[in-house]
Amino acid sequence: MDGLALLASVLYQLGTNAAFLLLCALGLIVILGMMNIINLAHGELMMMGAYTATMAVQRGIPFPLAVLLAFVVVGLFGAVLERLIVRRFYGRELGALVVTWGLSLILAQGTLILLGPFMPAIQIPGGSVSLGQYSFSVYWLVMIAVAAAVVVLLWWLYNRTTFGLEARATMQNAAMARALGVDTERIYMLTFSLGAGLAGLSGALLAPTTSIAPFMGQQFVAPAFITVVVGGATNVIAGAVGSSLLLSLVRTPVGFLFGAFLGLVALLFAALVIIRLMPDGISAYLQRWHDRRTRLA
Amino acid sequence: MSDRQDGNVGGTGAAAAAEAAAPGADRRTVLKGATAVGIAGFGATYLRGFRFTSAAKAAGSSPVKLGFIEDTSGNLAVYGIQKLHAAQLAVKEINEGKTLKGAPNIGAGMMGVMGQVAKDPPVISKEGTALDVVSDGGAKGRTDLVFDEDDEILIDSGDSGIMGRELSLVAADGQSNNAIWQQLARRMIQQDKVDVLVAGFASAEREAIRPIVDQFKQLYFYTNQYEGGVADANTFCTGPVCEQQVIPTVQYMVEKFGPRCYTIAADYNFGQLTAAWTRAFIPLVGGQIIGEEFIPLSVSEFSQVIQRIQQAKPDWVMTLLVGQNHHNYYPQAAAAGLRFPMASTVNMAQGYEHKRFAPPSLANMHNAIQYQLEVPTARNRAFVKRWMAMFPDDQYIGEMAQNTYFTIHMYAKAARLAGTTDQQTVKKALELGWNIEAPEGSVFLEPGTHHCAHPIRMAVCDENHNVRFVRDWPMIQAWWLQRLGVNLVRNPEYKQYTPDEDPYFKMFGNSKKA
Repeated sequence: MDGLALLASVLYQLGTNAAFLLLCALGLIVILGMMNIINLAHGELMMMGAYTATMAVQRGIPFPLAVLLAFVVVGLFGAVLERLIVRRFYGRELGALVVTWGLSLILAQGTLILLGPFMPAIQIPGGSVSLGQYSFSVYWLVMIAVAAAVVVLLWWLYNRTTFGLEARATMQNAAMARALGVDTERIYMLTFSLGAGLAGLSGALLAPTTSIAPFMGQQFVAPAFITVVVGGATNVIAGAVGSSLLLSLVRTPVGFLFGAFLGLVALLFAALVIIRLMPDGISAYLQRWHDRRTRLA
Repeated sequence: MSDRQDGNVGGTGAAAAAEAAAPGADRRTVLKGATAVGIAGFGATYLRGFRFTSAAKAAGSSPVKLGFIEDTSGNLAVYGIQKLHAAQLAVKEINEGKTLKGAPNIGAGMMGVMGQVAKDPPVISKEGTALDVVSDGGAKGRTDLVFDEDDEILIDSGDSGIMGRELSLVAADGQSNNAIWQQLARRMIQQDKVDVLVAGFASAEREAIRPIVDQFKQLYFYTNQYEGGVADANTFCTGPVCEQQVIPTVQYMVEKFGPRCYTIAADYNFGQLTAAWTRAFIPLVGGQIIGEEFIPLSVSEFSQVIQRIQQAKPDWVMTLLVGQNHHNYYPQAAAAGLRFPMASTVNMAQGYEHKRFAPPSLANMHNAIQYQLEVPTARNRAFVKRWMAMFPDDQYIGEMAQNTYFTIHMYAKAARLAGTTDQQTVKKALELGWNIEAPEGSVFLEPGTHHCAHPIRMAVCDENHNVRFVRDWPMIQAWWLQRLGVNLVRNPEYKQYTPDEDPYFKMFGNSKKA
């Protein structure tokens, strides 16, 4: 029983760590991974999602609906952002980096001016279940499932729909895609909007567990970039799943045995080693391994 | 009060001093004659630099500039806004010709001699700020806790502003960013040329600006509760420190809940040193640290920390969590079903987590505080009322907001006594030692260490997040620097001592192994 409880506890920690990384990275998977835009406003898009959901819940809207609302609102905001600003910087990575950084400052400081330095957080939904001496938050168990479901949906969208096919074509070779009749402008806008919406969605999902403040987004930016960069660009979705699992596989035991601080150190160190050994990220390594296997077969 | 002190003191240099002291005198001025004599005698030598002339008091000159830096945005904004409001209230009162009771050279006050005591003190509702009594706690007796005092502490200063000069608040937002703090400190000292600097939340912020303060010999007040040990001739630390808070807390928790303590602390100088105090002191009361964990300020996700605590099964948890990121520990721990008793020297009294998070997130939280909003005394109710009249939308007044409030009043009194805002002279006036009647009770600024003796109360939060005070220590000295032999009046120093430099701590460490 004790052993079983300990196993459940370790699995729960692994799950929450991986789900946290994945949720942080969701929007960035699309925007950085696919469009190759270094979006430094990613944290602020998550902040907008959290604010939208929190304000909706405070006005009596049920939490699940508030999360969907955050997805829609931030997605629409992303579309506007893409039309007005971001599209002028395609192909200019450093330009995009600076402009999204500027956007992040405007969004955070603007929120500070309009809504003040913090807002009361909403309560964490759901109670806890216990096993042996351990107890687990139901909300985090749901979050693990939701993170997994969103990744599956994203995979389906990009690999099983016409939009996904056109999007992948546009990202690989925009000129060729245009020549074949793909409306690449529209694809860019939809992709950026989807990325923004996903950032809003995960901001809303994380909102009950964190402080609602204008600069709250900053805490998510580093984990998001680490997850996506370690994952690599060859296959961003598989890469992000692989990297969040691998990084939490390193972080969880170290954190459990030696504390949160060393857990974080282990995570950063693991990211360093992985990027050194696999400069193109986990997904490129997986791809090569997959290619080798298919060649052998 | 009956025993007002008027006109019974003589002496030339002391006349103005007594004038400044007289309105501040109250029933606690038990040593009234002795005090005046003390000032008269001491003044002849010590106060030579003071300018007690009417010219110095001439009205109509430029305002006195109070430099003020706190974080009104960023991770620490939840505290900074309270502190800014406290400064605004104190400045307003000073300019309206009000002052807190108190005088130099009295020594520690005697809180509670006139107070009512009760076996079961009243429970204060978490709703609003009217301090509604949920339950009156039953029959009153004379032997237990002080819960009421009948003094009004705000009185006329006989002055408007400071010596007729308006006190003007030069406030800036440190944005919870140490680099910005340094820029702002330089700007305030070099460009604005402030007469006094009141600033600093996190110890990292204080240590970032203290070298600048020392470079320009700026009179500086740090009003936070903190880990202790700053011995700096230019700095006055008016908040409580570890020996005043950690020791009562640890003693109470071990006695009540058992010896096994698990510490989670913010990973910077405050958290590390406060945890070191806990570790050093707990063996003396028969307890032990069974786990210790330091958490970076950027962390806001605590699932793993919670699982580790459940694995360790402590009797109680010491939470020394700082900032809005860390505060999420409480709702997360409650949602994950963690139910261990908790103790802290910071949480609840500063970030009012018991009001921000739904019950029972803070249930069974214990904190040995010198002040938090709920302190059930008449003088505090009057203070809360004055505050809420000025800031009706505020939800809370934390321990450091109150420190900021009485510190600014104390500065004004000292400057009046000095007869000038010249920083070195005001510093000398402060080094007389001051007794101030603050909303928390009597506070004594000890001259040698530039730290304050405070009344300490053990605040407990129940499962509905109502607060009660279950034990009180009428006056605890900040004695640690005294034991180390610090005397800033005789030997100016500019450093921060850490528990490692105290041989006693190593002795405690050995006794733990034995």
